[in-house]
This record gives sequence, C-alpha cells and structure tokens, in this order.
Amino acid sequence: MKVLCNREQLREGLAIVNGVIPTKSTRPAIENVCLVATENALELVGTDLEIAIRYRLDDVKVADTGTVLIPARVANEFVRDLSEETVSIDSGGDNCVISSGGDRVELVTIESDEFPVVARFQETHSYPLLAETFNKQIHRTSFAAAREPGRYAMHGILIEIEEGRLRMVATDGRRLAVTSTVIDCPEDAAHRAIVPTKGLQMFSRILSDPMARVRISFEETQFCLKTDNAEIYARLIDGEFPKYSQVVPAEGACKVEADASLLVNKLRLASTVTSADARAVRLVFTEDHIELLARATGRGRATGQMDASYQGSEVDIAFNPDFLIDGLKQCESDRVHLEFNDRTSPGKFQLGQDYTYVVMPITIDT
Amino acid sequence: MESPQETARDGVIRSLPQTVVNQIAAGEVIERPASVVKELVENAIDAGATRIKIDLEEGGVRLVRVVDDGCGMGTGDLELVFAPHATSKLHTPDDLDHIASLGFRGEAMASIGSIARCRVVSRQGDDGLAHTVEDTGGEIGDVVEAGGALGTTVEVRDLFFNTPARRRFLKRTSTELSRCLDVIQRIALAHEGIGFVVTHDSRRLFDVEPSMDLLARIRRTFGAELADSLVPVEFDEHPDRPGFGLRLTGFVAPPRFSRRDTSRLMWFLNGRFLRDKLLHRVVKEGYRGFLVENRQPVAFLRLAMDPALVDVNVHPTKAEVRFREGRRMFGMLVRALRDAVAQTDIATPGASLVDSMLKRELGPGRSELQPGQTWLPAGGSDHGVIRPAGSGWLGSEPSRPGTGGATGSTDSGSAGWSPAGTGGDREGFRGAQGTSSYPSEVDGQATAATPSAEGDIEAWATTDELRGPYLQVDKTYLLREVPGGFEVIDQHALHERLTYELLLRDLRAGSIEVQGLLVPELVELAKSEVELIGEHCEAIKTLGVDLAVFGPATIAVHGLPARIKRPNVEGMVTDLVHTIEAEGKPPNAEDVVEEVLHRMACRSSIMAGDSLTQEEIHALLSRARELGCDQTCPHARPTRVRFNLADLERAFHRR
Repeated sequence: MKVLCNREQLREGLAIVNGVIPTKSTRPAIENVCLVATENALELVGTDLEIAIRYRLDDVKVADTGTVLIPARVANEFVRDLSEETVSIDSGGDNCVISSGGDRVELVTIESDEFPVVARFQETHSYPLLAETFNKQIHRTSFAAAREPGRYAMHGILIEIEEGRLRMVATDGRRLAVTSTVIDCPEDAAHRAIVPTKGLQMFSRILSDPMARVRISFEETQFCLKTDNAEIYARLIDGEFPKYSQVVPAEGACKVEADASLLVNKLRLASTVTSADARAVRLVFTEDHIELLARATGRGRATGQMDASYQGSEVDIAFNPDFLIDGLKQCESDRVHLEFNDRTSPGKFQLGQDYTYVVMPITIDT
Repeated sequence: MESPQETARDGVIRSLPQTVVNQIAAGEVIERPASVVKELVENAIDAGATRIKIDLEEGGVRLVRVVDDGCGMGTGDLELVFAPHATSKLHTPDDLDHIASLGFRGEAMASIGSIARCRVVSRQGDDGLAHTVEDTGGEIGDVVEAGGALGTTVEVRDLFFNTPARRRFLKRTSTELSRCLDVIQRIALAHEGIGFVVTHDSRRLFDVEPSMDLLARIRRTFGAELADSLVPVEFDEHPDRPGFGLRLTGFVAPPRFSRRDTSRLMWFLNGRFLRDKLLHRVVKEGYRGFLVENRQPVAFLRLAMDPALVDVNVHPTKAEVRFREGRRMFGMLVRALRDAVAQTDIATPGASLVDSMLKRELGPGRSELQPGQTWLPAGGSDHGVIRPAGSGWLGSEPSRPGTGGATGSTDSGSAGWSPAGTGGDREGFRGAQGTSSYPSEVDGQATAATPSAEGDIEAWATTDELRGPYLQVDKTYLLREVPGGFEVIDQHALHERLTYELLLRDLRAGSIEVQGLLVPELVELAKSEVELIGEHCEAIKTLGVDLAVFGPATIAVHGLPARIKRPNVEGMVTDLVHTIEAEGKPPNAEDVVEEVLHRMACRSSIMAGDSLTQEEIHALLSRARELGCDQTCPHARPTRVRFNLADLERAFHRR
C-alpha cells in the first residue's frame, strides 16, 4: 500500500477514529487503526467492538491499494505533530512508514485479518435528516441517561421512529427526557433501538457540519449513521426500556411558569448547604412566587426567593436540584413551564417544543 | 462411699460425721489451689491487711501460704477458726442484707482444713505473743503459743492429701499456677490500697505496691501497651451526692484488644470480682458495632453501690449476684460505656502488622512470650512512660502518668485527634430528639479551637487536617500521611460507615428523604416473602424504601432513600426480606433497622475497585471525620490501620 494524503485531513480522521479505539484491550488487534486504500480513497477504521467507525479521506493519491494495521495511538500522535502539508504512507512486508518532509516513523504492522469485520452502511431502513437536528436530539436527552451501574437498558438512549416522527428518550429511573422531531420517512415506518449513550456521544462528534445531510439506519443488531465521509455503527443494547409514555404525565393540576436561568441560579444558591449525596430542595409555590428551601442535618439551611407566574393555593414539592439544573440548562426558551399534581407525583418540565423533561420528586417522610 | 447393704442394717439415714460434711462442702468451695488462694486472700483483705504475701509451691498443691498484716486473731478466735459456719463477718440474719465483706458464709476454713494440712499463726495488735492452731484433714489441734509477726499467716500444705480422687483432677503445675495467679491478679485489681507479692518456689512472680491505682495495676499485670490504650469510664448517678446510688469507674480497651475468652473482661462490685450475666450484657451492648462477633472486649470496670441493692448470697463462690434494679441500671451503664468505647483508638495499630511481618521473616523458634502477661516487672514502677514521643498516637492524648491520679482524669484524651465529637454526637442523635442542632460540628470546632485546661500539653499536639496527597492502592485502600506516621484506609469500609451513619441520622431525625422512581422497579420473590413484605409495607416505608405488592410473587419498588447513590434494588429488597425473616421481628424494631441500614449502606457504598480522585478522597475523609464514628465499618471491621514512625523504624531495623 502506498498513499499520499493531506496532513490536516489525516490528522482529523485519526483523531476521530482514535476516540473509539481502546488503549487496552484483551484483543490487541483492535488497539490498531486499520488503513484501507482503495482506488481513490483512504479509509480509517477503528472499533472497540461496541462502536465502529469508518472515516474516509477523498483527497488522496493512491499509488498501491492495500490494507494495513498500525498502532493507533502512535500514528495519531506522530501525525499530530507533523508540519509539512502532505504525508505519505507506505507499507510493505511487516512494517509501515509514515513520512512527511524529513520526518518519518517506521511502525511494525500486524496481520490485517486479525481485525474484526466492520459492516457497511445498509440503505434499506435508512432515513435522511439534518446533522444539526440529530445532534440536538442527542444533547437534549443524553444527560438524563443512567451512569451508575445496574439497570442495563437505561445506559442507552431509546431511538424510535413512529408515525413520521423520530423520538429519543433517556432516563435513569428518576428523571426522563423525551424529545421528538419530524422525519422524512414512509408513514408506516416503525423502528426501535436502544443505543449506548457513549456511542451516541461519539456520533455527535462526527457531526461537525450542522447543515450536512446525514442518514440514519436501523439494523438488527446495530444503529448506524452515515455522513459524507464517515460511517459510524453502534451495537444495540438488548433490554427492556421503561415505557416512557406511561411515565410522562398528561396534565398537572399546578402550572408554573418561571425564568429558566433565574431558577437555575436560585437552585444553585439554595443547594449550597446540601451535601453531595443528600440533596433535596423544596420549592414552595404561592401566588406568583417561588420560595426555595434546602436544609441538611449537620450543615445548615438556605432559602431563595423568585417571582414566577403561578395561580392557585400554596403547594410545595421537593426535587434533587442537580436533576433540575441538568434539565434547565437544556431549556431552549427563556421561560420554563412546570406542571405537577402533588408532592409525590412527577414534575413535568417543558424545555422546548416537543421536548419534555420529567423528574420524580423527593419525599420527606415526617 | 458406703454401700447401701451395709448401711441398711442400722437404718437407712444417719447424720454424716462432721469431717465428711466439711469434705463435701469443700467440694463446692475448694476445687483447686486457686480456690484456696482466693479464700485465704479474701480473708486477709477482710482482716484489713494492707500488704499480702502469697507463697506458692508446685502450683499451690504443695503449699499455699498467705501472710497478711491484718488485725489478727486471739486465742478464742483460733479455737473456732476451723469450725464450720464460724465467721467473724456476720452476726445476725439482718447482716445478710448488707454484706460488705468478701466472705461471710464461714465455710472456707473448715473446708480447707478437712482436705489439707493447715496451720494458722496469728497475733493481734495488743498481744505480745502469737498463737497457732493446726488442722490436718479435719483433726483440729489445740491452740498453742508461738512466735509470729502482727497479722495472720495461713499455711495450707498438701492439698487433697486425703481425697486422692480430687487430687487426680488437678492439672499440670503450670496450669494450676496460672489459675492461682489469675485469681490473685484479679483480686489485686479490685483492691487499690493493698499491696500484693506472689512467689512460686521462692521465685517472685508478681507484685503491686499498696500505692498503685487501678491503671498502674493493669499496667503491671497486662503490660504497658494495653494500659496506654485504655480510656477511662466514669459515671455517677448522683454526682452531687457522693456515695449515694450507682457509681461506675474503670477503663475500657479499644476493640483491637478483644479476645476469644472473657478473661480480661472484669467487673468488680464493691471490690468483689464477679461474672454476672447482666453486667456481661452491659459490656456487650456497650461494644456493639465496634466488635466483631465472638470476640470479647477487654474492660476493667468497678461498680460501687449500696450493698442493700444487691444480693450476693446466691452462689457459693459468689461469682454471681442479683441486682434489685437491674433494668434501670442496664440502660445507664450501657450509655456510659458506649461513650467511652467510642473514644478508644479503634484503628488497628501498624505495630501489630509489623510484628507479624517480623515474625514471619524470622520464622518460628522465637521464644513465645505470653502476650501481655508481665511476669517480672522490669525496673521501676512506672516503666512505659519513657516511650518515644512518636508512639503516643498522634500526640493528641496527653500521655498518662504511670502512677497516680490517672483514674480521675476522664477529661484527658478527649481533645485533639481522637474523635472528640463522638461522645456528644452519638448521644445527640441517639437521643432521637430530632432537633437540628449539629453537635458534631460544634464539638469538633470547639475542641480544635480552644485548647483545654491541659493547655501546655495540648499546645504541642499536632492536629491532623486530613491533608493529601492520597495514594490509592489497588483501587481499594487509601494511604495518607498523618502526623507522626501514616494510615491505610479501607475505602469501602469507611464509606459504608458514612452512609450508614447518615441514614441512621436521617432516620432518627425522622426524615429519610425518598427519591421516587419514575418506573417502579419490579423484584421477583418467593410467595411467602412477598406476603411477609406485604405485612410490613408501612414500617419498611419509614426506612426510606417505598414498596408495594405487585403480584403474587412480585414487589414493586417506588422509591429509595435519596442518599443512596447506586441503588441495587433487587439486592436491597432481598436483604430486607432476609433480615426480617431472620430476626422474626417487624422491620421497625431497633436491631432490624440497624441491620437493614447496614446492608443498604454496604450495597450502595464505594466498592473496592472504584478509583477515586484526590478530591473525592478528601471529601470522603472529611465527611467521615465530621461524623465522628469513622473507625469501624458497621460490621465492626476496622476502617483504618495506622503505622507510626516507631513502627517504621522497627521495620527498617533502625532501632
């Protein structure tokens, strides 16, 4: 294999693919990046067996086609520090030389057939959408997914296509974010996949051009995304995702509208006295007013006050302030809408159009 | 004994000769040389002796000689000394209600006399001459004049010479000797103000001066390491009216000194050693949560109370007594003990690890010293004070003077590193007042800021500010420097303790915050288990676990304590069921609550294998510190092991 390519493109490609490649694995072959030179392109392939990525460089001159495995981390660091415009990759026998100007590195390669087979993008169940749209859905939901061990299915984000809409849901069992958007698809198209959060965050990384048209595709064991020069695959989580439709309350008796960033501010202020693992801030709603109260045994108490539009008799509900702040930071308008029924039922926050965030309250048994 | 056929000829029943009666009584009172020693020494004490010398030969089998400087006896007394049920300690039945002397039954001398060759020499203060009387296996001689010092000397030779059956039950000399010593040491601990000297085959084994207080006596008997680690206990029911009501003094040792047997758990009631079930339970309760199962704590506790409130006449060797107000006493004593136990230095000292390491390296063949047993005191009476500064742990406890005054100073050692807040803090939430005063913080700051009365010692004490850097070993242990050494912390054990205490604190304050679950989590259980849970749903809810029966074999969990970071719902519910099942009590019973919280804490804590950042470690340590009781995990495993510079120096053969 012998290829000439642009340094900047190669650097970017290696950096992205390296985001997936594990530094330590029980299968040493996947600690490498797989370079595949075809007639008119160079493809960089990396995988950690959960997520796989193909990144294509078009602006290359291929003298000899071929496939080679080189240590990903070394290649990435070497190319990053090069200064000349073009880089040549030349492999033969059991080594591969990367050179640029007077700088060169000679790497020992390993057999390319030890590298796992990475699938090709299937057009069958694929749907087009704008990069920005998909990216936004990821950001709207991924923060609510579970991070702690246990509850396996909740470590992923549910992606659904139903009735012409793309819906994404994430939950850790105590809060849930759900968002949806119109998607160009046949009316009867229906798909469902639970994609690991980590994988989706990787997806988000390659969506650098917001206006680009991308395609997503649902396959039996993986969810894929294709951009102009990259393809990324995530293996699906096989598990039962909570039924989000039963979780999102229809309409609450108490309706509050408040300034989102001010509320974040007041929540932070009140929660200063709570400790990292016992956090509850009580929100007391009176006519056009919210009082926030927090206290922690052995530490102290804090209160905050703010205006809000609320009509009705005095009610109160307590939440983990971290959960609220996480959601409010995503709020797409200045005003946030909160609805709830009583202090034991979930609070429903409207953070934007087709974007709902549900948080279970903390009840203090006295 | 006589065969029935023989006796039948003159009638079945007849009175036994007095010698036989005494021998039978002796079977109850005198089992072995140690019993003789006990009876004689107690008599000496009752006679008002201030110095008692005990000479033993062949473990006491050949000779027990007790020489005292007490009031002595006249000729009239000596005539009765070996007569059964003759005593100077009681006169009327009413006297039984307030027994202040050690003996009173009047059986001992007669019993001993019937099974050994005895001689008593005694001189009263105003007599110019001593008198002596002998009893050889029940044959009592006449009182004759003899030469002798003031006080009484009792010699018991050839124990069981006329009852070979009993002699066969005696153990090896060394065993009998150690039992004798055991008795003497126990008595010596109980009687401040009396000096004891023990010799065996003319070799001096043990001695205490009359002037030595309890702590000095413990030091002499069990060694300086134990004595230096003891924490004083002091409790007075009516501090303003001395001598009235219940008074508890003494010392408790850190849990690491615990043993398999109760040989170093001593209760002294009005100067009498006893093994009482109630008192034993007091200690067990006092150490609960600090001691692993099947280990017996080390404690030396003296109880002083009105003799009228206790019946000592229930057991021939007087080891058991009956308290008139046992129930009321129990609560008071447990509280006083717990406070003291929480103040002990619970960390495993690195020294013991270094010791075991050295032992491993040197291999067997090192002379096996009996741990802690000081046989021959080296040099002056207050050795152990001349220890290097580094070994007084963290320099926080003012090193106690070897002799004198130490018993009274309960307030020493309550400042500085050792969790000072513990006492007050625990009481704070144990009292379940639910007030949100924050004793631990207040206490902690107060002690840190204001040096106490013993200012000049305190001023030199280094305070530990939990400063990093910390080293995490195998993602399991945390290492950090502490003033004068370093400590190793078990991260899981410490976090578990923290979570447990916080949950408990929440619970006692009446508010466990419950984080609701969006989707109830379903847990499959056996049908009987579901029924059990169903019965107790409400009570379980007070523990912060909100659950409901969902199906014949399914439980739905709707909420969990907000404090719990990584809920393992299934594990928690099964733990809950098993605990309720095992205890057979409703889940709001005190001990069930504790067990459930333990398990919850264990399930949700940082595990061995979780890597932590420096900030996380600091937060963990300081929050645990704030809490006070951070020395053991709820299952009483220690959370930390400490090494001081002296340990390191020993390990590196620098000294």
